[in-house]
Amino acid sequence: MSEIVVKKKKKKFKVFPLVNGLIFILISLIILLPMWKVIVDSFDARAGYGMLFWPQVVTVDGYKEVLTNAVLFKPFLISVFVTAVGSLLGLTLSTLGAYVLIQYEMPGRNFFANMLLFTMIFNGGMIPTYLVMKNLHLLNTLGSVIFPLAINVYNLVLMRNFFEGIPGSLFEAAQIDGCSPMGIFFKIVLPLSKAAIASIGLMFMVTFWNDYTNFKIYINDNSLFNFQIKLRSLVMDNDIPDVGGVDPNTVKNAATIVAILPFMIMYPFLQDYFVQGVNVGAVKE
Amino acid sequence: MQCKSCNTELPKHAKVCPKCGTKVSDKGPQNLKVIAIAGAVIAFIGGLLPFVQNTGDIEIAYSFMNIQMSFFWYLYMIALVATILLCVAKREKLSIITTAIAGVIFAVSMFVSPFLEYAGRQQVKGGVINKYNNVMLGNLLSNGEYTLGLGFFVVIIGLVVAVIGVFFDILKYFKKEINVDAKYMTNSINKSVWSMIYYYRWFYVMFLPAFIFVLIFNYWPMLGLRYAFTSYKITNPYYIGITHFYEMATADIYFWTAFKNTLYLSIIKLILNTGAAVIISLLLHEISNIIFKKTVQTIIYLPHFMSWVVTASLFRLILAPSTSGMVNTFLAEVFGMFGGNPSNGIFFLGDPRYWVGSYFVINVWKDTGWGTILFLATLSGISPELYEAAEIDGANRFNKMRFITLPALTNTIITVFILNLAKVMNLFESVFVLMNDAVYDVSNVLQTFVYYKTFGGGRPDYGYTTAVGLFRSVVSGLLVIICNYASKKVRGRGIV
Repeated sequence: MSEIVVKKKKKKFKVFPLVNGLIFILISLIILLPMWKVIVDSFDARAGYGMLFWPQVVTVDGYKEVLTNAVLFKPFLISVFVTAVGSLLGLTLSTLGAYVLIQYEMPGRNFFANMLLFTMIFNGGMIPTYLVMKNLHLLNTLGSVIFPLAINVYNLVLMRNFFEGIPGSLFEAAQIDGCSPMGIFFKIVLPLSKAAIASIGLMFMVTFWNDYTNFKIYINDNSLFNFQIKLRSLVMDNDIPDVGGVDPNTVKNAATIVAILPFMIMYPFLQDYFVQGVNVGAVKE
Repeated sequence: MQCKSCNTELPKHAKVCPKCGTKVSDKGPQNLKVIAIAGAVIAFIGGLLPFVQNTGDIEIAYSFMNIQMSFFWYLYMIALVATILLCVAKREKLSIITTAIAGVIFAVSMFVSPFLEYAGRQQVKGGVINKYNNVMLGNLLSNGEYTLGLGFFVVIIGLVVAVIGVFFDILKYFKKEINVDAKYMTNSINKSVWSMIYYYRWFYVMFLPAFIFVLIFNYWPMLGLRYAFTSYKITNPYYIGITHFYEMATADIYFWTAFKNTLYLSIIKLILNTGAAVIISLLLHEISNIIFKKTVQTIIYLPHFMSWVVTASLFRLILAPSTSGMVNTFLAEVFGMFGGNPSNGIFFLGDPRYWVGSYFVINVWKDTGWGTILFLATLSGISPELYEAAEIDGANRFNKMRFITLPALTNTIITVFILNLAKVMNLFESVFVLMNDAVYDVSNVLQTFVYYKTFGGGRPDYGYTTAVGLFRSVVSGLLVIICNYASKKVRGRGIV
């Protein structure tokens, strides 16, 4: 009797996992192939040929062009600047705000929480926000792309959810030992939420690095465009700067790769933080 | 939902907190407050609609927005916001007073303060200003060309509803509810409000930055929504009533196309993405080799971190109808399509027939992997004992999937669906980066419609585009509220 069971198991073990494994190899290929193709073309000196999966004439001229040509390099620097400043600002706002939101006994706490949550239900929309920026004289400054994304209610709520995971007894113990609320924040909450801060900091970085819409709406000045704007005009609108003898196609591909490189490098190491953020957001909201 | 006294997470239908024994009253006196708040919101909207309307010309209308003493509008708004805040703060009795104040302000501005009639523009030293004539309500109505407008009735209905709602709330207080006394609801020693505020003083300072940012970048634009009721071409807005909404509903076919496209694109996208994510997580769950599973996960999450611009660039490059485009070359060489010449290939992103399909494929490519995270988290929580028991009962792999895994996922699927349904009107960037003039008709969504109408060259009409944006915001807000309600029903917890 037991022999039959074992046989059956073995038979199953062969077919389904194999097919399943193949399916996932195929899916991975589908996802990687476009990226691989772009990587290949970015290293290929000749005009790319569609069915080629290895560069024919290897060159790094495309990358050199992206990183030295001022037309392409300056937007890159602006992207880096906006990402760094914006993420820090966003993280500060979220951390401070979230810590206030877990003070359930604080007078006005519910008002603050509702005030934040209401913005998730209703918003002014594109044009009124644009008019506000205009009134504040923020148009064509980097402030217009940093500030509206730095206050991200969703991330703030996410941070609050992380903070709520800290056992309340820790706060009580600290309070009894004479720790001030600020002391609790700096000595207990922050050290315990390194993972949360990393996770939300990463989300901010992705948002700021990938920002295209705000730049498109609020910034009209060529010298303040970020890399995403430049990339779009390069690839989609064929607005190719003077690239010397380098094939424009190579430059296009190289620019695309440069735009994803920072996260491609960081991502495998930080995957868990990202995933954690999503799970906390949906499960404990 | 959390326990009020000890903040522990409560089970879905708990009557009593399992940790501290406090009675849970989630259906307390809050529920009927909705009526009062709805009333205040209706009155608020009514304040923007025309009180007096010219029967011949829809553009000539009078409301709070063009009374001579324009601060009345702000007072009216403050009174209504105070009503809502007092309701939320459970001071319903006081909110009757504020509602009454709003009513008085309304009456005064209707009958005492003159309205301003727009009379063209005037050059002055500093630039151009609007010129107005003063007219009184009595004169207007005796004229015969004017009738009482929509706003008049809406305001009255709103105020009445608000008062009735508040009365309901007050009546509730006479029914004795057995509840834990407020003073036992907190863990700390009972203190007066002022000493509490003093104790928490640094927290207010901590919240100040976020408060200021939200006020400036989220609430100030809401105030700007009033421009939807004005003619606002570059400068000098003036009130024109509901002209823009009338125009949107009757004359603008591009608006309706955009609305239709928004719903179509985002709902089909939502269904496809969720479906694909469910199938992939079910299959991924069956993989027993941890390293292979981890690798696959890493790969399929990857596209999520690319910006839409990068994704669009990527697909633009590989879908190009030339020898450098991978897909067209593949079709030409392997299947011999287009006479073997990829340059005659399909222009996937520039042909209305293929654009929609390409859009969905690109979306599935980008977001399916990321969408599996929640499903995989649920799947990893299923007890292995269930599978073992099913195996003993003779279930095969597909039986197990059908009768154990899928039912366990149902709740998560609904959750994900609700979470994303609330966002369907937000569709913008993904379409914006992929669209071009050739596919305008099938790809134009509300947000891109607003963008192109304002910034796409030509003289911007902020009033009209704000009206379209207001329509979008309202539909979007209603969706969020509906989804929030659905979410509360399904999983015992709202989405906002």
